[in-house]
Amino acid sequence: MILNKDLRLKIAQMVKASGEGHIPSSYSIVDLIEHLYGHVLHVDAKNPRWPERDYFILSKGHGCGALYAVLHKYGFLSDQDIADYSTSRGILGGHPDMMTVPGAEASTGSLGHGFPTAVGTALGLRIQQRANRTFALLGDGECHEGTIWESANVAANLRLGNLCAIVDWNGSAAQLMPLDDLPSKWMAFGWEVHEIDGHSADEMRAVFSGLSFVSVGRPKVIIARTVKGKGVSFTEGHGKWHHRVPTDEEMSLISRELAA
Amino acid sequence: MKKLRQEFADTMLEIGSQDPRLVVMVGDISHSILQPYAKTCPGRYFNIGICEPTIVNMAAGLNKTGLIPVVHTIAPFITERAYEQIKLDFGYQMLSVNIISVGGAFDYSQLGCSHHCYTDVSLISHLKRGTVMLPGSPVEFNKLFKETYANGLINYFRLPEQPHEVEFQAVDIKFGQGIRIREGKDVTIAVIGTQLRNALVASDRLAGRDISVEVLYFHTIKPFDSELLRASVMKTRKFLTVEELSAHDGLYNLCLRACVGINDVATGQIAIEDFVHGYGTYDELCARVGMSPDEIMRSILRLTC
Repeated sequence: MILNKDLRLKIAQMVKASGEGHIPSSYSIVDLIEHLYGHVLHVDAKNPRWPERDYFILSKGHGCGALYAVLHKYGFLSDQDIADYSTSRGILGGHPDMMTVPGAEASTGSLGHGFPTAVGTALGLRIQQRANRTFALLGDGECHEGTIWESANVAANLRLGNLCAIVDWNGSAAQLMPLDDLPSKWMAFGWEVHEIDGHSADEMRAVFSGLSFVSVGRPKVIIARTVKGKGVSFTEGHGKWHHRVPTDEEMSLISRELAA
Repeated sequence: MKKLRQEFADTMLEIGSQDPRLVVMVGDISHSILQPYAKTCPGRYFNIGICEPTIVNMAAGLNKTGLIPVVHTIAPFITERAYEQIKLDFGYQMLSVNIISVGGAFDYSQLGCSHHCYTDVSLISHLKRGTVMLPGSPVEFNKLFKETYANGLINYFRLPEQPHEVEFQAVDIKFGQGIRIREGKDVTIAVIGTQLRNALVASDRLAGRDISVEVLYFHTIKPFDSELLRASVMKTRKFLTVEELSAHDGLYNLCLRACVGINDVATGQIAIEDFVHGYGTYDELCARVGMSPDEIMRSILRLTC
């Protein structure tokens, strides 16, 4: 069963209209981000900088099509914002800019930056004895970056129990580095590790509802098995679709598949 | 005179006791001398470890939650290795941080070029919201830090291992303002950091040759006190910079820019052209790159004869 067909269609339409975007990288995480905003995060679309909010940082910034579609669904972004995606008129681009995008907590794009920033956010909240939680969504390819493992090490040693990482394990990393046992690696760094199907509503609900956030404790990581390009038959997998803009014909096929 | 690094620790204790937003993170240096701060401000001191890019990213996260981060480690490892983090986290995202380095230029003179840093000042200067300070005595750091640490900008302080030994009063130290140490009429020396010592010795000797040297000292490089330099060069029409910075982008360039429109200005520069290979004392490495009273004298004589 394909979740969030409407959001997937919106992502494709944004890329088609603007000529810019990463469809498969967005499709592998759109179910996770929708679940977070719909069921997990304490946020306020009317007041994106609400001091009591949970912090969500999209560390794999090139998947921002998914973030924008979800922020639009939940009222952070307007129809016009989506229509103006990746144009000089608008506020949305190929990587999120926290200075312009309501709800974007970090200006990501250069991989390996968002996650350590989230570690700092979690630490800052704990120092101030605030109950807000911090979530960061990482790519598995992003886990090639050294700062991911520096931060994983630091967060576990600081016992940041108010921090949850989510890794989009869509197989990108293993194309180059096949020794890719992410659950074992995160476990070895001292994290509480959960492994789920990142496209299953039941599994997302079960894992996120069972998480316990505490001021001092093991940080948590959800290793989400996902499919790059999930939801449209010919965008799935690794290859030419990574940064491809659909032709008119391909857009029609995407629309037809997502309407089925 | 007290070491700059000790003044850093003392100032953290002073400010941290008053401002609960101050959080200090270090990359496994200065741990012992920061213990008074750590004990007085529990939960706001972290010896994170040897992972400078992550420390910088974390500082951005701290600042996002309303805290004022101070990051402290060795200059090349934070400003050069972690420059992308500084650029994106604090430049692009307009967040705020205080970066306090030691080991600028070749202060770690016995450890080789891996521990040298000539470009830190230039790198931070490229960020519009960056400020750059090179306090050469304890009172300078204390005063400049108090003036700037909560200003919402990217504040960079390079602390030299050896103070210049000139005693200033706190009232003399103002962010962004250079100091005329000596008045002269024949030639201007613009100097930063510990090199003030050599500049003053050279100017004394030159006085014996009837050459009157005006010595300008800059503890703040950005913003730069162009007016002070310009007024001096209008009088002398000659300047020499002495700077423990890359020759390609530092004090000399700032002075040149300050002099635009003044005719017939003769200039000289003593700076760092490339890696300073080899080992030795700080003074020995200074001499190797021409940062000695004798070489400053020779440079001045070339300008004046």
